[in-house]
Amino acid sequence: MGEVSRKPGKPLQVNPIKLSQPMGAALAFLGVNQCMPLMHGALGCASFTKVFLTRHFSEPIAIQTTAVTDITAILDGGDYNIVESVKNITAKVAPKLIGLHTTGLTETKGDDIRGVAAKIDFPLVHVNTPDYEGGLESGWALATRALIRQLVRPTDQVQPDKLVLLPHVGLQPIEVEKIKEFIALFGFEALALPDLSTSLDGHLGHKQGALSGGGIEVDDIENLADAALVISIGASMRDCAQALREKNPAMSVHHFDHLHGLEVSDALVELLMQKMPATEIHPGVKRWRMRLQDAMLDCHFALGQTRFAVVGEPDQVAGLCQALTEAGGRVTLALTTVDAPQLAPIKATRVLVGDLEDAERLHEDYDLIIGNFHCEALALRYHKGLVLRGFPNWEQVGNQLKNDLLYEGGAYFLCEVANAADHQRRHEAKG
Amino acid sequence: MAKKPKIKDLLVESACSHSAAKKSACNTQTPGATTGGCAFEGAQIALFPYADAAHLVHGPITCLGASWETRATPTSHRGHDFTQMGFTTAISTNDVVFGGEEKLRAAIDYIIENYAPQAVFVYATCVTALIGDDIDAVCRQAQSTYGIPMIPVHAPGFVGSKNLGSRLGGEAVLAALVGTKEPEVRTPYDINLIGEYNVTGDMWQYTPLLEELGIRVLATLSGDGRIADIRAAHRARLNVIVCAKSLISLTRKMQEQYGIPFISLSFYGKRDTSSGLLAIADALGDEDLRERTRTLVAREEAWLEEKLAPYRRLFEGKKAILNTGGNKSWSIASALQDLGIEVVATSVRKATEDDKEKARQYLGESGVLMTNPGTEQAKIIDQTGAHLLLAGGRSLYTAIKKRIAFIDVNQEKKKSYGGYQGLLNLAEDIKNALENPVFNIVARRAPWEK
Ligand code: SF4
Repeated sequence: MGEVSRKPGKPLQVNPIKLSQPMGAALAFLGVNQCMPLMHGALGCASFTKVFLTRHFSEPIAIQTTAVTDITAILDGGDYNIVESVKNITAKVAPKLIGLHTTGLTETKGDDIRGVAAKIDFPLVHVNTPDYEGGLESGWALATRALIRQLVRPTDQVQPDKLVLLPHVGLQPIEVEKIKEFIALFGFEALALPDLSTSLDGHLGHKQGALSGGGIEVDDIENLADAALVISIGASMRDCAQALREKNPAMSVHHFDHLHGLEVSDALVELLMQKMPATEIHPGVKRWRMRLQDAMLDCHFALGQTRFAVVGEPDQVAGLCQALTEAGGRVTLALTTVDAPQLAPIKATRVLVGDLEDAERLHEDYDLIIGNFHCEALALRYHKGLVLRGFPNWEQVGNQLKNDLLYEGGAYFLCEVANAADHQRRHEAKG
Repeated sequence: MAKKPKIKDLLVESACSHSAAKKSACNTQTPGATTGGCAFEGAQIALFPYADAAHLVHGPITCLGASWETRATPTSHRGHDFTQMGFTTAISTNDVVFGGEEKLRAAIDYIIENYAPQAVFVYATCVTALIGDDIDAVCRQAQSTYGIPMIPVHAPGFVGSKNLGSRLGGEAVLAALVGTKEPEVRTPYDINLIGEYNVTGDMWQYTPLLEELGIRVLATLSGDGRIADIRAAHRARLNVIVCAKSLISLTRKMQEQYGIPFISLSFYGKRDTSSGLLAIADALGDEDLRERTRTLVAREEAWLEEKLAPYRRLFEGKKAILNTGGNKSWSIASALQDLGIEVVATSVRKATEDDKEKARQYLGESGVLMTNPGTEQAKIIDQTGAHLLLAGGRSLYTAIKKRIAFIDVNQEKKKSYGGYQGLLNLAEDIKNALENPVFNIVARRAPWEK
């Protein structure tokens, strides 16, 4: 654990890695089946988000905007635009839910979306997500919490084998699927909220719907409160777990800052064994644990002589740093988008809330960068190794299929990074 | 320093042929049923290719965070390529409450100190426009401090569409830059390229030909452009609008203010490239230049025909449906026709009246102008037996279901289809699509569905 710098020392961001709260909220709503995210603001925010996510996931993205204009920006409290939007959306498609969230513009105006929502006779969840606060991670978490608060029905019963997973925004669709499968091996039925694993996972559907296809069902969200076990992943999701618990105090709530690396994977297994004592450990789990151990040893040499810069959302950075550290990698720079409580325990020499200009200044400190596609230019300029992770990745296909978690994904991840580090070294040696 | 442009005036552009009609297609927005970018995005698209100017986005993270490094607009500028960098004040709650001008001033200071650009564009966005930050005053002050142009761009997202934003970007350049400097030398063959952003290097497909003809590109707005050049753009003999209708008011105003005539053309496909070159020569009004251009065009076309011959054999009898937006609805259609492919339908869903007219002209009476391509295109494939669908990613499923080849023309493109060479690139891509078995194989039924 190293020095943490939280306050930016400059009045602007140069080459930002930060993404906005409204985008995070929209993405969360896309993890609900047949949900239409409705961004309350001028049309650009939704358009940028749509293009951004389309390019990242290589999937069509359903999203709408209330299209606030200069006239409505000044005169109206949002009523007209929101009510009209709902009318126009439902005239064309039949969503099961509308996910209404704000932007900087409508927050500055002070629109009372809660009041408007109360007047709308259509299933709708509303959440405030000004883009001058927080970031991608908090937007996702706020929308998830709103889904819980506004939809989940309270109860005091629990089903012993039902489990709710609350994944942070940095988890790839396939990772959520893998966690669900892993948990199922211990006899639980796991539901994820939000669930991109079935909506934006890169599968080829039969037709092109105008709405998100896949994701958790609205009915299932309403009935989440009778799950015996709740597991939140990522510090940003702690509040969501609390919100769920308010619906049923009998739930047993557990938190993991991430699911990267051997130690934390073991901790998850221990928890599941304890909650479901009768189950045999599936042979696949045992085999993958051994493979991860093997991969850690195979990779430790390459990783041990490499200094890493890890760039991204706080929860994701926390996990990646842990995985690298366990196999001997030294993270000399952890660069995150926003300030968060989980920065302090991150295993890195230096933890910085900042932008890629900061990473550029410190370029002598690291050999390989793990981060989003904006890091590519930096890596090329200073001849650094590069492993692409996080939003956005527009350069590579298949990022929805990358799994870095638990025993299995952990093994793949370490091998990929070790190969990239070795490749870079060979390349540099040849000049 | 710029006065805020009058948006009403820009919406009713007298040089647009459709402005006589009552309703303008340029600014319709329906809540909950609208797509497309905001005015800020339009301004950014129009101005970002100036790689020697810093582009500072004054707003919260949304506006720049999701949009920097999205467009491949290469530059020959040798210093920092500011097009591929993102600068934003990334304002926070505190700035919203107390105003963001101070932060903006400090951000400009920081940029000048650390990056020494030729100019700084300052973009207002929704929040900073709404809280009333006076970016004009900040720019004025910074300009007098640093002695380089500081250009406020008043195109916050809520004023309208992307198209309007491009116009506002053009206005900002006209007000703050054009006519503020004299060119070092002048030639009778000086032209400006307006609305060419050099996406994927499109511009470089034909500028060598202009150069060979002795035509000098004095300034561009803004592909591979330089701030110093656009400041001297008022001395050009001719403004050439390349595709983009959005900057027509700018060229009209330059005609009024500086007497520069303008023509509008496209460099997609063989016919358009040739007639474009000839149109420039015509407009410059020099018989010798005309003659040279005719010779050059003949040479280039002969070269191209030879290269295209094998493709032509392959494309014979092939029919295509084109589902894209704006000027692409006709410019790519014309390029396809140049390759000997019949274009049976094109989308005019978001097209302006001008674009519709052009599309009709290229497709002829039998061609279908689709107003609702989402539902129409599948039917048209059946009716016409089309072999190829060129569209955005959403339509991929239609192609797979109908088992025909598909080319994505909307994803931020990576390869240039401009000029003569670009037509070869397009031909190669189409050939690969037609020959690729994937569209057929991927549509196979699963063993358990049989
Ligand atoms: S609509 Fe406004 S806030 Fe949104 S991206 Fe455009 S300028 Fe920025």
